[in-house]
Amino acid sequence: MSKNNSSIMDKFIMAAAKIGQQRHLGAIRDGFVTLMPLMIVGSIVTLINNFPISTGSSGGKQFLKEILAENKFMSWLTDLNGNVWWGTFGMLSILAVVTIAYYLAKSYDSDSLSAAIISLASFMCAVPQMAIFALEDGTEAAGWGFINYNYVNASGLFVAIAIALISTEIFVRLSKSGKLVIKMPEGVPPAVSRSFAALLPGMLTVLAVTFVTVMIGKIASQNIFDLITETIMNPLTKSSGSLAFGLIIVFLTHLLWAFGIHGPNIFEGILQPLNVNAIATNTELLAAGATTGFVIFNKSFLDAFVYMGGSGVGLGLIIAILLVGKSKQNRMVARLGAAPALFNINEPVLFGLPIVLNPIFVVPFVLGPIICLIIAYGATAIGFLPVARAVIPWTTPPILSGLFVTGFAWQGPVIQVINLALSILIYIPFVKIADKAEMKKEGNQATA
Amino acid sequence: MLKVMFVCCAGMSTSLLVEKVKKAAESKGIEMDVYALAEADAKKDLAQADILLLGPQVRYLESSFREGIKGTDTKLGVVDMMAYGRLDGEKVVQQIIDLSNE
Repeated sequence: MSKNNSSIMDKFIMAAAKIGQQRHLGAIRDGFVTLMPLMIVGSIVTLINNFPISTGSSGGKQFLKEILAENKFMSWLTDLNGNVWWGTFGMLSILAVVTIAYYLAKSYDSDSLSAAIISLASFMCAVPQMAIFALEDGTEAAGWGFINYNYVNASGLFVAIAIALISTEIFVRLSKSGKLVIKMPEGVPPAVSRSFAALLPGMLTVLAVTFVTVMIGKIASQNIFDLITETIMNPLTKSSGSLAFGLIIVFLTHLLWAFGIHGPNIFEGILQPLNVNAIATNTELLAAGATTGFVIFNKSFLDAFVYMGGSGVGLGLIIAILLVGKSKQNRMVARLGAAPALFNINEPVLFGLPIVLNPIFVVPFVLGPIICLIIAYGATAIGFLPVARAVIPWTTPPILSGLFVTGFAWQGPVIQVINLALSILIYIPFVKIADKAEMKKEGNQATA
Repeated sequence: MLKVMFVCCAGMSTSLLVEKVKKAAESKGIEMDVYALAEADAKKDLAQADILLLGPQVRYLESSFREGIKGTDTKLGVVDMMAYGRLDGEKVVQQIIDLSNE
Protein backbone atom coordinates (compact mmCIF):
# COMPACT_ATOMS: atom_id res chain seq x y z
CA MET A 1 0.00 0.00 0.00
CA SER A 2 1.33 3.42 -0.92
CA LYS A 3 2.21 5.96 1.73
CA ASN A 4 -0.59 8.25 0.65
CA ASN A 5 -3.18 5.50 1.06
CA SER A 6 -2.01 4.51 4.48
CA SER A 7 -2.27 8.05 5.77
CA ILE A 8 -5.86 8.28 4.53
CA MET A 9 -6.52 4.95 6.27
CA ASP A 10 -4.93 6.21 9.47
CA LYS A 11 -7.14 9.28 9.39
CA PHE A 12 -10.21 7.12 8.80
CA ILE A 13 -9.34 4.87 11.75
CA MET A 14 -8.61 7.87 13.94
CA ALA A 15 -11.97 9.42 13.07
CA ALA A 16 -13.76 6.14 13.78
CA ALA A 17 -11.92 5.76 17.07
CA LYS A 18 -12.98 9.27 18.05
CA ILE A 19 -16.65 8.46 17.38
CA GLY A 20 -16.26 5.13 19.18
CA GLN A 21 -14.87 6.82 22.24
CA GLN A 22 -17.17 9.83 22.14
CA ARG A 23 -18.29 10.26 25.71
CA HIS A 24 -21.94 11.17 25.11
CA LEU A 25 -22.58 8.54 22.44
CA GLY A 26 -20.93 6.01 24.74
CA ALA A 27 -23.22 7.01 27.61
CA ILE A 28 -26.30 6.62 25.39
CA ARG A 29 -25.06 3.23 24.16
CA ASP A 30 -24.27 1.90 27.65
CA GLY A 31 -27.51 3.36 28.99
CA PHE A 32 -29.52 1.43 26.43
CA VAL A 33 -27.53 -1.75 27.08
CA THR A 34 -28.77 -1.53 30.68
CA LEU A 35 -32.36 -1.13 29.43
CA MET A 36 -32.08 -4.18 27.16
CA PRO A 37 -33.85 -6.69 29.47
CA LEU A 38 -36.72 -4.23 29.94
CA MET A 39 -37.07 -3.55 26.23
CA ILE A 40 -37.06 -7.28 25.47
CA VAL A 41 -39.67 -8.17 28.09
CA GLY A 42 -41.72 -5.20 26.89
CA SER A 43 -41.52 -6.56 23.35
CA ILE A 44 -42.53 -10.07 24.42
CA VAL A 45 -45.67 -8.96 26.25
CA THR A 46 -46.65 -6.68 23.35
CA LEU A 47 -46.22 -9.54 20.90
CA ILE A 48 -48.41 -11.82 23.00
CA ASN A 49 -51.16 -9.26 23.56
CA ASN A 50 -51.19 -8.14 19.93
CA PHE A 51 -50.96 -11.63 18.46
CA PRO A 52 -53.42 -11.46 15.55
CA ILE A 53 -56.14 -14.10 15.44
CA SER A 54 -58.55 -14.36 12.53
CA THR A 55 -62.06 -15.06 13.69
CA GLY A 56 -63.52 -17.77 11.49
CA SER A 57 -66.40 -16.93 9.20
CA SER A 58 -66.37 -13.14 9.42
CA GLY A 59 -62.67 -13.17 8.44
CA GLY A 60 -62.01 -10.10 10.59
CA LYS A 61 -58.83 -9.89 12.63
CA GLN A 62 -58.83 -9.78 16.37
CA PHE A 63 -55.96 -9.46 18.78
CA LEU A 64 -55.24 -12.14 21.35
CA LYS A 65 -55.73 -9.62 24.18
CA GLU A 66 -59.37 -9.10 23.18
CA ILE A 67 -60.07 -12.82 23.29
CA LEU A 68 -58.23 -13.24 26.59
CA ALA A 69 -60.04 -10.30 28.18
CA GLU A 70 -63.41 -11.93 27.48
CA ASN A 71 -62.36 -15.12 29.25
CA LYS A 72 -62.69 -14.69 33.00
CA PHE A 73 -60.02 -17.32 33.75
CA MET A 74 -57.47 -15.82 31.36
CA SER A 75 -58.09 -12.10 31.68
CA TRP A 76 -55.28 -11.83 34.24
CA LEU A 77 -52.83 -12.56 31.42
CA THR A 78 -53.79 -9.49 29.38
CA ASP A 79 -53.54 -7.44 32.57
CA LEU A 80 -50.09 -8.83 33.27
CA ASN A 81 -48.94 -8.14 29.71
CA GLY A 82 -50.46 -4.68 29.74
CA ASN A 83 -48.92 -3.78 33.08
CA VAL A 84 -45.46 -4.99 32.07
CA TRP A 85 -45.70 -2.91 28.88
CA TRP A 86 -46.76 0.09 30.97
CA GLY A 87 -43.75 -0.19 33.27
CA THR A 88 -41.17 -0.84 30.53
CA PHE A 89 -42.01 0.66 27.11
CA GLY A 90 -44.63 2.98 28.58
CA MET A 91 -42.04 4.57 30.91
CA LEU A 92 -39.01 4.17 28.69
CA SER A 93 -37.95 7.83 28.70
CA ILE A 94 -37.93 7.96 32.50
CA LEU A 95 -35.76 4.82 32.62
CA ALA A 96 -33.43 6.11 29.91
CA VAL A 97 -32.81 9.44 31.69
CA VAL A 98 -31.51 7.54 34.72
CA THR A 99 -29.21 5.10 32.91
CA ILE A 100 -27.77 7.61 30.43
CA ALA A 101 -27.07 10.22 33.12
CA TYR A 102 -25.51 7.50 35.28
CA TYR A 103 -23.04 6.41 32.61
CA LEU A 104 -22.17 9.96 31.57
CA ALA A 105 -21.40 10.95 35.17
CA LYS A 106 -19.40 7.76 35.60
CA SER A 107 -17.27 8.59 32.56
CA TYR A 108 -16.34 11.83 34.38
CA ASP A 109 -15.64 9.92 37.62
CA SER A 110 -18.38 11.98 39.20
CA ASP A 111 -21.13 10.99 41.66
CA SER A 112 -23.19 8.92 39.21
CA LEU A 113 -26.18 8.15 41.45
CA SER A 114 -26.66 11.83 42.30
CA ALA A 115 -26.33 12.77 38.63
CA ALA A 116 -28.92 10.15 37.65
CA ILE A 117 -31.46 11.30 40.23
CA ILE A 118 -30.93 14.99 39.50
CA SER A 119 -31.35 14.37 35.77
CA LEU A 120 -34.52 12.38 36.44
CA ALA A 121 -35.95 15.26 38.50
CA SER A 122 -34.98 17.78 35.80
CA PHE A 123 -36.77 15.62 33.23
CA MET A 124 -39.90 15.23 35.34
CA CYS A 125 -39.95 19.02 35.86
CA ALA A 126 -40.36 19.35 32.09
CA VAL A 127 -43.22 16.83 31.79
CA PRO A 128 -46.60 18.56 31.21
CA GLN A 129 -48.96 18.26 34.18
CA MET A 130 -52.25 19.24 32.59
CA ALA A 131 -54.58 16.72 31.01
CA ILE A 132 -57.52 17.48 28.75
CA PHE A 133 -60.46 15.12 28.78
CA ALA A 134 -63.18 14.92 26.18
CA LEU A 135 -66.55 14.74 27.91
CA GLU A 136 -69.61 12.87 26.72
CA ASP A 137 -71.47 16.05 25.79
CA GLY A 138 -68.65 16.99 23.40
CA THR A 139 -67.01 19.63 25.60
CA GLU A 140 -63.57 19.37 27.10
CA ALA A 141 -62.43 19.59 30.66
CA ALA A 142 -58.89 20.22 31.87
CA GLY A 143 -57.43 18.80 35.02
CA TRP A 144 -54.12 19.28 36.81
CA GLY A 145 -51.82 16.58 38.21
CA PHE A 146 -51.70 14.02 35.41
CA ILE A 147 -48.74 12.53 33.59
CA ASN A 148 -49.53 11.53 30.02
CA TYR A 149 -47.68 8.33 29.11
CA ASN A 150 -47.24 9.73 25.61
CA TYR A 151 -44.57 12.04 27.03
CA VAL A 152 -42.63 9.43 28.97
CA ASN A 153 -42.71 6.45 26.58
CA ALA A 154 -40.45 6.11 23.54
CA SER A 155 -41.87 9.33 22.04
CA GLY A 156 -40.16 11.31 24.80
CA LEU A 157 -36.75 9.75 24.25
CA PHE A 158 -35.24 12.71 22.45
CA VAL A 159 -36.09 15.09 25.29
CA ALA A 160 -35.00 12.44 27.79
CA ILE A 161 -31.58 12.00 26.19
CA ALA A 162 -31.06 15.75 25.84
CA ILE A 163 -31.99 16.46 29.47
CA ALA A 164 -29.91 13.54 30.78
CA LEU A 165 -26.82 14.76 28.93
CA ILE A 166 -27.26 18.48 29.63
CA SER A 167 -28.15 18.23 33.32
CA THR A 168 -25.32 15.77 33.95
CA GLU A 169 -22.87 18.08 32.18
CA ILE A 170 -24.00 20.99 34.36
CA PHE A 171 -23.99 18.92 37.55
CA VAL A 172 -20.53 17.45 36.89
CA ARG A 173 -19.03 20.85 36.10
CA LEU A 174 -20.55 22.51 39.15
CA SER A 175 -19.43 19.71 41.49
CA LYS A 176 -15.90 19.77 40.09
CA SER A 177 -15.54 23.53 40.43
CA GLY A 178 -15.11 23.15 44.20
CA LYS A 179 -16.47 26.62 44.92
CA LEU A 180 -19.99 25.32 45.47
CA VAL A 181 -19.09 22.55 47.85
CA ILE A 182 -20.18 23.35 51.40
CA LYS A 183 -17.23 22.84 53.71
CA MET A 184 -18.06 21.07 56.94
CA PRO A 185 -16.17 21.85 60.13
CA GLU A 186 -13.64 19.32 61.35
CA GLY A 187 -15.12 16.42 63.25
CA VAL A 188 -18.04 15.95 60.87
CA PRO A 189 -17.84 12.38 59.50
CA PRO A 190 -16.60 12.27 55.88
CA ALA A 191 -19.75 10.43 54.75
CA VAL A 192 -21.88 13.32 55.95
CA SER A 193 -19.76 15.99 54.29
CA ARG A 194 -19.80 14.01 51.04
CA SER A 195 -23.60 14.07 51.07
CA PHE A 196 -23.41 17.85 51.26
CA ALA A 197 -21.06 17.98 48.27
CA ALA A 198 -23.88 17.34 45.82
CA LEU A 199 -26.22 19.78 47.50
CA LEU A 200 -25.65 23.12 45.77
CA PRO A 201 -24.66 21.68 42.37
CA GLY A 202 -27.78 19.49 42.41
CA MET A 203 -30.12 22.34 43.34
CA LEU A 204 -28.65 24.67 40.74
CA THR A 205 -28.83 22.01 38.01
CA VAL A 206 -32.53 21.33 38.52
CA LEU A 207 -33.27 25.06 38.61
CA ALA A 208 -31.19 25.85 35.52
CA VAL A 209 -32.56 23.03 33.36
CA THR A 210 -36.14 23.73 34.38
CA PHE A 211 -35.68 27.45 33.70
CA VAL A 212 -34.65 26.56 30.16
CA THR A 213 -37.54 24.13 29.58
CA VAL A 214 -40.05 26.65 30.96
CA MET A 215 -38.66 29.43 28.74
CA ILE A 216 -38.78 27.19 25.68
CA GLY A 217 -42.41 26.47 26.50
CA LYS A 218 -43.19 30.19 26.84
CA ILE A 219 -41.40 31.24 23.65
CA ALA A 220 -42.73 28.40 21.49
CA SER A 221 -46.10 28.52 23.27
CA GLN A 222 -46.19 24.73 23.35
CA ASN A 223 -44.45 22.30 25.69
CA ILE A 224 -40.93 21.09 24.89
CA PHE A 225 -42.13 17.53 24.19
CA ASP A 226 -44.64 18.52 21.50
CA LEU A 227 -42.15 20.98 20.05
CA ILE A 228 -39.32 18.41 19.79
CA THR A 229 -41.65 15.70 18.48
CA GLU A 230 -42.90 17.93 15.67
CA THR A 231 -39.64 19.60 14.68
CA ILE A 232 -37.04 16.86 15.28
CA MET A 233 -38.42 13.48 16.26
CA ASN A 234 -40.97 12.96 13.48
CA PRO A 235 -38.69 13.95 10.58
CA LEU A 236 -35.84 11.97 12.17
CA THR A 237 -37.96 8.84 12.62
CA LYS A 238 -39.10 9.06 9.02
CA SER A 239 -35.63 9.44 7.52
CA SER A 240 -34.03 6.88 9.87
CA GLY A 241 -36.45 4.28 8.53
CA SER A 242 -35.48 4.92 4.92
CA LEU A 243 -33.49 2.64 2.66
CA ALA A 244 -30.93 5.39 2.09
CA PHE A 245 -30.15 5.65 5.81
CA GLY A 246 -29.95 1.85 6.03
CA LEU A 247 -27.52 1.69 3.14
CA ILE A 248 -25.27 4.35 4.69
CA ILE A 249 -25.19 2.54 8.05
CA VAL A 250 -24.57 -0.90 6.51
CA PHE A 251 -21.86 0.40 4.17
CA LEU A 252 -19.98 2.33 6.88
CA THR A 253 -20.28 -0.51 9.42
CA HIS A 254 -18.65 -2.98 7.04
CA LEU A 255 -16.07 -0.51 5.83
CA LEU A 256 -15.00 -0.02 9.47
CA TRP A 257 -14.79 -3.78 10.00
CA ALA A 258 -12.70 -4.06 6.84
CA PHE A 259 -10.15 -1.94 8.69
CA GLY A 260 -10.52 -4.02 11.83
CA ILE A 261 -12.73 -1.65 13.82
CA HIS A 262 -15.91 -2.87 15.50
CA GLY A 263 -18.40 -1.09 13.22
CA PRO A 264 -21.67 -2.08 14.94
CA ASN A 265 -20.33 -0.90 18.30
CA ILE A 266 -19.52 2.52 16.85
CA PHE A 267 -23.09 3.05 15.60
CA GLU A 268 -24.82 1.50 18.61
CA GLY A 269 -25.27 4.85 20.38
CA ILE A 270 -27.12 6.24 17.36
CA LEU A 271 -29.11 3.18 16.34
CA GLN A 272 -30.43 2.14 19.78
CA PRO A 273 -32.60 5.20 20.55
CA LEU A 274 -33.83 5.26 16.94
CA ASN A 275 -34.66 1.56 17.18
CA VAL A 276 -36.81 1.83 20.29
CA ASN A 277 -38.68 4.72 18.75
CA ALA A 278 -39.13 2.84 15.46
CA ILE A 279 -40.45 -0.32 17.14
CA ALA A 280 -42.83 1.69 19.32
CA THR A 281 -44.08 3.63 16.28
CA ASN A 282 -44.65 0.42 14.32
CA THR A 283 -46.44 -1.25 17.23
CA GLU A 284 -48.74 1.75 17.64
CA LEU A 285 -49.51 1.91 13.92
CA LEU A 286 -50.26 -1.82 13.82
CA ALA A 287 -52.56 -1.58 16.83
CA ALA A 288 -54.41 1.25 15.07
CA GLY A 289 -54.81 -0.95 11.99
CA ALA A 290 -52.53 1.11 9.73
CA THR A 291 -51.01 -0.41 6.60
CA THR A 292 -48.52 2.34 5.70
CA GLY A 293 -46.24 4.82 7.41
CA PHE A 294 -44.08 2.19 9.12
CA VAL A 295 -40.44 2.70 10.03
CA ILE A 296 -39.03 -0.12 7.91
CA PHE A 297 -35.30 0.16 8.62
CA ASN A 298 -34.27 -0.13 12.26
CA LYS A 299 -31.71 -1.99 14.32
CA SER A 300 -33.89 -5.03 15.06
CA PHE A 301 -34.66 -5.35 11.33
CA LEU A 302 -30.93 -5.07 10.61
CA ASP A 303 -30.00 -7.67 13.25
CA ALA A 304 -32.57 -10.15 11.93
CA PHE A 305 -32.25 -9.86 8.16
CA VAL A 306 -28.68 -8.66 7.55
CA TYR A 307 -26.41 -9.53 10.48
CA MET A 308 -27.12 -13.26 10.32
CA GLY A 309 -24.04 -14.82 11.85
CA GLY A 310 -22.68 -11.36 12.58
CA SER A 311 -21.47 -8.56 10.33
CA GLY A 312 -21.08 -9.39 6.64
CA VAL A 313 -23.77 -12.11 6.90
CA GLY A 314 -21.04 -14.20 8.55
CA LEU A 315 -23.06 -17.39 8.46
CA GLY A 316 -23.13 -17.17 4.65
CA LEU A 317 -19.34 -17.05 4.51
CA ILE A 318 -18.94 -19.98 6.90
CA ILE A 319 -21.38 -22.13 4.92
CA ALA A 320 -19.68 -21.12 1.65
CA ILE A 321 -16.29 -22.21 2.99
CA LEU A 322 -17.63 -25.51 4.33
CA LEU A 323 -19.38 -26.16 0.98
CA VAL A 324 -16.62 -25.40 -1.51
CA GLY A 325 -13.51 -24.42 0.47
CA LYS A 326 -10.40 -26.55 0.01
CA SER A 327 -7.76 -24.82 2.10
CA LYS A 328 -7.28 -26.59 5.44
CA GLN A 329 -6.63 -23.32 7.26
CA ASN A 330 -9.81 -21.68 5.98
CA ARG A 331 -11.93 -24.74 6.76
CA MET A 332 -10.48 -24.88 10.26
CA VAL A 333 -11.39 -21.24 10.87
CA ALA A 334 -14.90 -21.79 9.49
CA ARG A 335 -15.48 -24.78 11.77
CA LEU A 336 -14.13 -22.83 14.74
CA GLY A 337 -16.38 -19.87 13.93
CA ALA A 338 -19.56 -21.84 13.25
CA ALA A 339 -20.86 -22.16 16.83
CA PRO A 340 -20.39 -18.48 17.80
CA ALA A 341 -21.82 -17.43 14.41
CA LEU A 342 -25.10 -19.13 15.29
CA PHE A 343 -25.37 -16.40 17.91
CA ASN A 344 -24.21 -13.73 15.46
CA ILE A 345 -20.71 -13.48 16.92
CA ASN A 346 -18.33 -13.19 14.04
CA GLU A 347 -14.92 -12.23 15.41
CA PRO A 348 -13.21 -15.63 14.97
CA VAL A 349 -13.81 -15.49 11.20
CA LEU A 350 -13.23 -11.74 10.90
CA PHE A 351 -9.79 -11.98 12.47
CA GLY A 352 -8.94 -15.61 11.83
CA LEU A 353 -9.55 -15.91 8.12
CA PRO A 354 -9.01 -12.94 8.14
CA ILE A 355 -11.54 -10.62 6.53
CA VAL A 356 -9.94 -7.59 8.15
CA LEU A 357 -7.46 -5.92 5.76
CA ASN A 358 -7.96 -8.76 3.29
CA PRO A 359 -8.57 -7.41 -0.23
CA ILE A 360 -10.13 -10.69 -1.42
CA PHE A 361 -12.95 -10.84 1.12
CA VAL A 362 -13.69 -7.13 1.47
CA VAL A 363 -15.83 -7.09 -1.70
CA PRO A 364 -18.37 -9.81 -0.76
CA PHE A 365 -18.20 -8.74 2.89
CA VAL A 366 -19.56 -5.29 1.98
CA LEU A 367 -21.68 -6.31 -1.00
CA GLY A 368 -23.59 -9.22 0.60
CA PRO A 369 -25.14 -7.22 3.46
CA ILE A 370 -26.13 -4.41 1.08
CA ILE A 371 -28.01 -6.87 -1.14
CA CYS A 372 -29.64 -8.52 1.89
CA LEU A 373 -30.73 -5.10 3.13
CA ILE A 374 -32.26 -4.17 -0.23
CA ILE A 375 -34.14 -7.48 -0.45
CA ALA A 376 -35.55 -7.35 3.06
CA TYR A 377 -36.44 -3.68 2.66
CA GLY A 378 -38.11 -4.32 -0.68
CA ALA A 379 -40.02 -7.32 0.70
CA THR A 380 -41.34 -5.11 3.52
CA ALA A 381 -42.18 -2.21 1.20
CA ILE A 382 -44.30 -4.40 -1.11
CA GLY A 383 -46.11 -5.81 1.91
CA PHE A 384 -44.73 -9.36 1.86
CA LEU A 385 -42.51 -9.16 4.93
CA PRO A 386 -44.31 -7.92 8.07
CA VAL A 387 -42.69 -4.82 9.55
CA ALA A 388 -40.31 -5.18 12.55
CA ARG A 389 -42.30 -4.87 15.77
CA ALA A 390 -40.10 -6.23 18.56
CA VAL A 391 -36.74 -5.39 20.08
CA ILE A 392 -34.64 -8.55 19.93
CA PRO A 393 -31.25 -9.26 21.50
CA TRP A 394 -28.64 -9.11 18.73
CA THR A 395 -27.46 -12.58 19.76
CA THR A 396 -30.79 -14.22 18.79
CA PRO A 397 -30.00 -17.03 16.29
CA PRO A 398 -31.24 -16.54 12.70
CA ILE A 399 -34.69 -18.05 11.89
CA LEU A 400 -35.71 -17.43 15.53
CA SER A 401 -34.84 -13.75 15.13
CA GLY A 402 -36.89 -13.62 11.91
CA LEU A 403 -39.85 -15.11 13.74
CA PHE A 404 -39.65 -12.84 16.79
CA VAL A 405 -39.02 -9.58 15.00
CA THR A 406 -42.09 -10.01 12.75
CA GLY A 407 -44.39 -11.21 15.53
CA PHE A 408 -44.21 -14.92 14.58
CA ALA A 409 -44.80 -14.50 10.83
CA TRP A 410 -43.52 -17.27 8.55
CA GLN A 411 -42.36 -14.66 6.04
CA GLY A 412 -39.57 -13.64 8.43
CA PRO A 413 -37.61 -16.92 8.26
CA VAL A 414 -38.35 -17.20 4.52
CA ILE A 415 -36.63 -13.89 3.80
CA GLN A 416 -33.78 -14.92 6.09
CA VAL A 417 -33.26 -18.16 4.16
CA ILE A 418 -33.35 -16.29 0.82
CA ASN A 419 -30.83 -13.72 2.10
CA LEU A 420 -28.59 -16.42 3.51
CA ALA A 421 -28.65 -18.37 0.23
CA LEU A 422 -27.79 -15.23 -1.75
CA SER A 423 -24.91 -14.37 0.54
CA ILE A 424 -23.53 -17.90 0.18
CA LEU A 425 -23.64 -17.50 -3.62
CA ILE A 426 -21.89 -14.14 -3.37
CA TYR A 427 -19.14 -15.56 -1.14
CA ILE A 428 -18.46 -18.76 -3.14
CA PRO A 429 -16.33 -17.26 -5.97
CA PHE A 430 -14.23 -15.36 -3.43
CA VAL A 431 -13.76 -18.46 -1.28
CA LYS A 432 -12.34 -20.14 -4.38
CA ILE A 433 -9.97 -17.24 -5.08
CA ALA A 434 -8.83 -17.28 -1.44
CA ASP A 435 -8.32 -21.04 -1.73
CA LYS A 436 -5.94 -20.58 -4.64
CA ALA A 437 -3.90 -18.02 -2.71
CA GLU A 438 -3.90 -20.16 0.42
CA MET A 439 -3.06 -23.41 -1.45
CA LYS A 440 -0.07 -21.71 -3.01
CA LYS A 441 1.13 -20.78 0.46
CA GLU A 442 0.43 -24.23 1.91
CA GLY A 443 2.14 -25.81 -1.14
CA ASN A 444 5.16 -23.59 -0.71
CA GLN A 445 5.41 -24.52 2.94
CA ALA A 446 5.22 -28.22 2.09
CA THR A 447 8.04 -28.05 -0.47
CA ALA A 448 10.22 -25.73 1.57
CA MET B 1 -0.46 -15.31 40.45
CA LEU B 2 -0.45 -13.35 37.22
CA LYS B 3 -3.75 -11.55 36.66
CA VAL B 4 -4.68 -11.12 33.00
CA MET B 5 -7.65 -9.05 31.84
CA PHE B 6 -8.97 -9.12 28.29
CA VAL B 7 -11.12 -6.27 27.02
CA CYS B 8 -13.47 -6.18 24.04
CA CYS B 9 -16.81 -4.53 23.26
CA ALA B 10 -19.27 -6.74 25.07
CA GLY B 11 -16.83 -9.30 26.50
CA MET B 12 -18.49 -12.01 24.41
CA SER B 13 -16.13 -13.04 21.64
CA THR B 14 -13.18 -12.57 23.97
CA SER B 15 -14.60 -15.04 26.47
CA LEU B 16 -14.03 -17.72 23.81
CA LEU B 17 -10.35 -16.85 23.72
CA VAL B 18 -10.11 -16.76 27.51
CA GLU B 19 -11.02 -20.44 27.71
CA LYS B 20 -8.30 -21.34 25.20
CA VAL B 21 -5.73 -19.23 27.02
CA LYS B 22 -6.60 -20.89 30.33
CA LYS B 23 -6.09 -24.33 28.82
CA ALA B 24 -2.83 -23.38 27.12
CA ALA B 25 -1.46 -21.88 30.35
CA GLU B 26 -2.49 -24.96 32.31
CA SER B 27 -0.76 -27.33 29.91
CA LYS B 28 2.37 -25.21 30.21
CA GLY B 29 2.10 -25.28 33.98
CA ILE B 30 1.77 -21.51 34.32
CA GLU B 31 -0.63 -20.18 36.92
CA MET B 32 -2.76 -17.33 35.65
CA ASP B 33 -6.04 -15.70 36.53
CA VAL B 34 -7.58 -14.91 33.14
CA TYR B 35 -10.88 -13.12 32.52
CA ALA B 36 -12.69 -10.95 29.99
CA LEU B 37 -14.56 -7.71 30.60
CA ALA B 38 -16.57 -5.33 28.45
CA GLU B 39 -15.05 -1.92 27.77
CA ALA B 40 -17.42 -0.11 30.15
CA ASP B 41 -16.67 -2.46 33.07
CA ALA B 42 -12.94 -2.53 32.51
CA LYS B 43 -12.72 1.26 32.68
CA LYS B 44 -13.81 1.22 36.32
CA ASP B 45 -10.36 0.00 37.32
CA LEU B 46 -7.83 -0.44 34.57
CA ALA B 47 -4.93 -1.28 36.85
CA GLN B 48 -6.72 -4.18 38.55
CA ALA B 49 -4.76 -6.72 36.49
CA ASP B 50 -1.04 -7.22 35.88
CA ILE B 51 -1.58 -7.62 32.16
CA LEU B 52 -4.24 -5.80 30.18
CA LEU B 53 -4.92 -7.15 26.69
CA LEU B 54 -7.18 -5.47 24.15
CA GLY B 55 -9.10 -7.40 21.53
CA PRO B 56 -8.04 -6.29 18.04
CA GLN B 57 -11.49 -4.82 17.36
CA VAL B 58 -11.02 -2.27 20.14
CA ARG B 59 -7.35 -1.50 19.54
CA TYR B 60 -8.38 2.14 19.13
CA LEU B 61 -8.70 2.20 22.94
CA GLU B 62 -4.97 1.65 23.29
CA SER B 63 -3.94 5.29 23.67
CA SER B 64 -6.64 6.18 26.22
CA PHE B 65 -5.99 2.98 28.20
CA ARG B 66 -2.25 3.66 28.18
CA GLU B 67 -3.07 7.03 29.67
CA GLY B 68 -5.25 5.29 32.28
CA ILE B 69 -2.52 2.91 33.52
CA LYS B 70 0.23 5.54 33.68
CA GLY B 71 2.21 5.19 36.88
CA THR B 72 1.00 1.66 37.64
CA ASP B 73 2.75 -1.67 37.07
CA THR B 74 0.06 -2.89 34.68
CA LYS B 75 1.28 -3.76 31.18
CA LEU B 76 -0.84 -3.20 28.11
CA GLY B 77 -0.95 -5.01 24.79
CA VAL B 78 -3.21 -5.71 21.81
CA VAL B 79 -3.89 -9.37 21.01
CA ASP B 80 -2.41 -10.42 17.69
CA MET B 81 -5.27 -10.39 15.18
CA MET B 82 -4.76 -13.86 13.70
CA ALA B 83 -4.13 -15.44 17.10
CA TYR B 84 -7.37 -13.88 18.29
CA GLY B 85 -9.39 -15.06 15.33
CA ARG B 86 -8.02 -18.59 15.35
CA LEU B 87 -8.38 -18.77 19.12
CA ASP B 88 -4.69 -19.68 19.35
CA GLY B 89 -4.31 -19.92 23.13
CA GLU B 90 -0.62 -20.84 23.06
CA LYS B 91 0.37 -17.86 20.99
CA VAL B 92 -1.51 -15.53 23.30
CA VAL B 93 0.08 -17.13 26.39
CA GLN B 94 3.47 -16.45 24.80
CA GLN B 95 2.42 -12.84 24.26
CA ILE B 96 1.40 -12.59 27.93
CA ILE B 97 4.75 -14.01 29.06
CA ASP B 98 6.65 -11.61 26.79
CA LEU B 99 4.65 -8.68 28.14
CA SER B 100 5.22 -9.64 31.77
CA ASN B 101 8.97 -9.91 31.14
CA GLU B 102 9.17 -6.47 29.58
